[in-house]
Amino acid sequence: MAFLAPFAFIALAAIAIPIFIHLIQRERKRVVAFPSLMFVRRIPYQSVRRRRIRHWALLAVRAAAIALIVAAFARPFFRQSAAAAAAIGGSREVVVLLDQSASMGYGDHWRKAQDAAKQAIRSLGTDDRATLVLFSRNAEENMRATSDKSRLEAAVNAAKVGSGATRYGPALKLAASILARSQAKRREAVLISDFQRTGWSGSEDARFPDGMTLTTASVASPPVTNISVPSVTFSRASFSGQERVTVTAGVANKSEQPAADVPVTLEIDGHELQTERVTVGANASGSVSFTPFTLAEANVKGRVRAGSDLLPADNSFYFVLAPSAPVSILVIETGSNPSSSLYLSKALSIGTTPSFHVEVVAANRVTPASFDNKSVVILNDAPLPSAAGGGVLKQFIERGGGLLVVLGDHSAWPAADADVLPGRLAAVVDPTNGRGDAIGFIDYSHPVFEVFKAPRSGDFSSAHIFRYRAIEPTPDARVLARFDDGGVTGVERRLGQGRVVVWTSTMDDSWSDLALKPVFLPLVHQMVRYLARYEQPASWQTVGQVVDLAGVSRTRGDRVIVSPSGQRTPVKAGAAIVELNEQGTYEVRAAAGAAATARPEAIAVNLDAAESDLTPLDTRELVAAVTGHATPSGNDIAAPVEVTREESEKRQALWWYLLLAGMLLLAAETVVANRLSAREKFL
Amino acid sequence: MPQTALPGARFVDPKVLSRIGNLELLARSVVEGFINGLHRAPYFGASIDFAEHRGYVAGDDIRRVDWRLYARTDRYYVKQYEADTNTNVSILMDISRSMQFASRGGVTKLEYGSFVAACLAYLAQRQRDRVGILTFDSDIVTHVPPSAKHFDMVLHTLDRAKGERPGNLAVPLSKMAEHFKRRGLLVLISDFYEEPDAVLDAIKPLRFLGNDLIVFHVLDQAELDFGYDDASSFEDMESGEQVPVVPESLRAQYRQMIQDHIAALTTKFSEHRIDYTVLNTSEPLDRSLFSYLSSRQKLMRVR
Repeated sequence: MAFLAPFAFIALAAIAIPIFIHLIQRERKRVVAFPSLMFVRRIPYQSVRRRRIRHWALLAVRAAAIALIVAAFARPFFRQSAAAAAAIGGSREVVVLLDQSASMGYGDHWRKAQDAAKQAIRSLGTDDRATLVLFSRNAEENMRATSDKSRLEAAVNAAKVGSGATRYGPALKLAASILARSQAKRREAVLISDFQRTGWSGSEDARFPDGMTLTTASVASPPVTNISVPSVTFSRASFSGQERVTVTAGVANKSEQPAADVPVTLEIDGHELQTERVTVGANASGSVSFTPFTLAEANVKGRVRAGSDLLPADNSFYFVLAPSAPVSILVIETGSNPSSSLYLSKALSIGTTPSFHVEVVAANRVTPASFDNKSVVILNDAPLPSAAGGGVLKQFIERGGGLLVVLGDHSAWPAADADVLPGRLAAVVDPTNGRGDAIGFIDYSHPVFEVFKAPRSGDFSSAHIFRYRAIEPTPDARVLARFDDGGVTGVERRLGQGRVVVWTSTMDDSWSDLALKPVFLPLVHQMVRYLARYEQPASWQTVGQVVDLAGVSRTRGDRVIVSPSGQRTPVKAGAAIVELNEQGTYEVRAAAGAAATARPEAIAVNLDAAESDLTPLDTRELVAAVTGHATPSGNDIAAPVEVTREESEKRQALWWYLLLAGMLLLAAETVVANRLSAREKFL
Repeated sequence: MPQTALPGARFVDPKVLSRIGNLELLARSVVEGFINGLHRAPYFGASIDFAEHRGYVAGDDIRRVDWRLYARTDRYYVKQYEADTNTNVSILMDISRSMQFASRGGVTKLEYGSFVAACLAYLAQRQRDRVGILTFDSDIVTHVPPSAKHFDMVLHTLDRAKGERPGNLAVPLSKMAEHFKRRGLLVLISDFYEEPDAVLDAIKPLRFLGNDLIVFHVLDQAELDFGYDDASSFEDMESGEQVPVVPESLRAQYRQMIQDHIAALTTKFSEHRIDYTVLNTSEPLDRSLFSYLSSRQKLMRVR
């Protein structure tokens, strides 16, 4: 038996009150005037009788009532083991939510978190059940509800820090659903984490109904220094027919202390190429550029390491590099005017990401083989070559090729292949206002024009269009731009996997001066990239991303995916979706055959940059948002699961019974005292 | 039911009497009622009533010689008459603070004593006695000398009397003894809260001139039976001293002591031939009147 407020026992002195009243106060209560006390004084006065307590039982009842009431205010409770305490309140259903995100690898956070989880498990009573949920970006039941503490502890011991980002929402939702299924009287979730602020946006729809409690156990400690490499950029340049890549790494310091002389190392294919040193201020970031290196083949694995601290995971940044593949373009012209494709070919020779490989052919020299290995065909003011007719061009487009038709004086289109175009060609329009027409409407939502959407990102209105070829768009065509007079400037349609764009004015200086305007170069690049369906290959992915191998791998057939930890996962030819859960470089190998020995394709996976931000969240905010009650959570690890004195006292609620007993005794005392006082004048 | 001294004589309860504001009216009502119940008139008549003859001795006034008897017997006899019935009646009233006591809504001892005094004064006046009064506590408070015309003053004095100071018998009574130059009847009304010997020592001087003394000891019923229930602090009305008392524990002892006190006084007074009557304020006044009349009768026989 212990007491929460032992100082209340000072009030036990109140027991003396009835005795005091009885012995002293009562005698002075009434004064009777009497003529003379000469006889009374002669009688040897003995106050013994007065002081003698006649109604011991009554006094005992009064004292007991006071003692009980005082004891109630002292808030007594029985010291019990956690299991016994749990038995009083009924069985418990506990969900232990253990954060295994990458940030838990900081210092001894993971060990503390494991200890906290084990402590929560040990507090279980015989009838209690617990579920172990490991979570990072997602949450999963690692151990289903069980009373077997040894199994739960083994599961905790077996758990490891992952590479995922911290997200509390899915874990809390899972806990709520597990607890909702339980029939236990007391349902609790114990959230053990470093409580990164980035893991809780406040808009998660995780809400515990009444009757469920959320206890938090924070393992966060103020980080001294945390260096991370959040990103890497590449600058490519061609030199002597080879591609040279300059790697620039960003280094962030998410702490209150500046980091001086942080070594930053670039590794390519496991070899250290270069180490630079950088000083980064508190809560600031810097960058390091390495010497360019020649990129000769695809799937070159790279890594940038920066310094060393208590959270090593975010000190490395992985990437995969491949030489940039040029976009191959076939420009078909009439051949009569040698400068008709000058502007186009000059514009396309400038690009680096991607670079463009342009082949200019006269229309009459085009063969069906000319379309091989071409991504885009540009019919620049030329009639449809005969070699392209009869469905050849159409097939090229339907396989994924792109066609840009630039209309001009020489454009002619046979009716047989008219279904390739996004409209029916009409007569040449010659705007008569003398200064030509201007492009008045542009569909900025289209990928071609999206880059011009922002203000001062390209002025199309300065271009003068003196002539254009009218076209009546088909219903499935999409108009990209129009002239001031409503005529169509550009129109697009999709055909199979490919795309067809018709530009109704020339791309030289004969019908317009657009080729002389600054917007010409980006416009041509955008159109070609769009038609070639060019996407810059991602040098890295983020942990948790799901990738379609079809998009990143050229290997067909059965494959084996080797994770950074060496785990091999066979993937059938059809199933191409892979979830990237580990930090490092995944390798995609062919399952069998000669290709299995070739250099494997690689996918670099990096941590979510938010994991480097260890700023802790106020756990009360989280608890209040989830439970609706601002229950303070113990910051120490033991507090949430151990039965505290206050909790024991609250559960047992002995004070209530004591108070009731005291009140009943007082009521009984009133009845008895009234009866006695009816018999005697004075008690 | 209070006892009455004489069968058939009905007396009004003192509580009822206390409502009569006029002491004279009260006295007349009581006395007339009392006398009507007697079979014999108590009044002692003319002062010239013949009593007896005695032989002449030298020095007797020759005017008192009964010459007719001399003619028949040839001896000188002197006529003797009944004593002088016009006597001085002095009421000695204790008005100390203890006399203010009354229990259970009854009349105070002072009031009761006043009723007694008024009745006696009325009775005395009716038989042509001279009436005076002395009130005292620790000293003499008022003094009305006995006179045939002082009846009203006596009543007035009684009316005004208030018990305000503590009392003492020795001092005022010794002073009084010096006042009484002429033999008379002294009626002392007090509660005698002093030792019997001290009381007697105080009273003795009054007897020196041959005064007749009637002593009324006025007590409340509560003083006799100590009928209190609650344990309380009892305050001495004279000294103000408070004593915690549990009545039930000392009631028996108290009763014994008060009875012993009364018995001691009775013995002492009778030894000195002093009439002593205990008056209970809850009883009618007849006992006091009867006691007075019997004393007065004795006085008459004194030659």
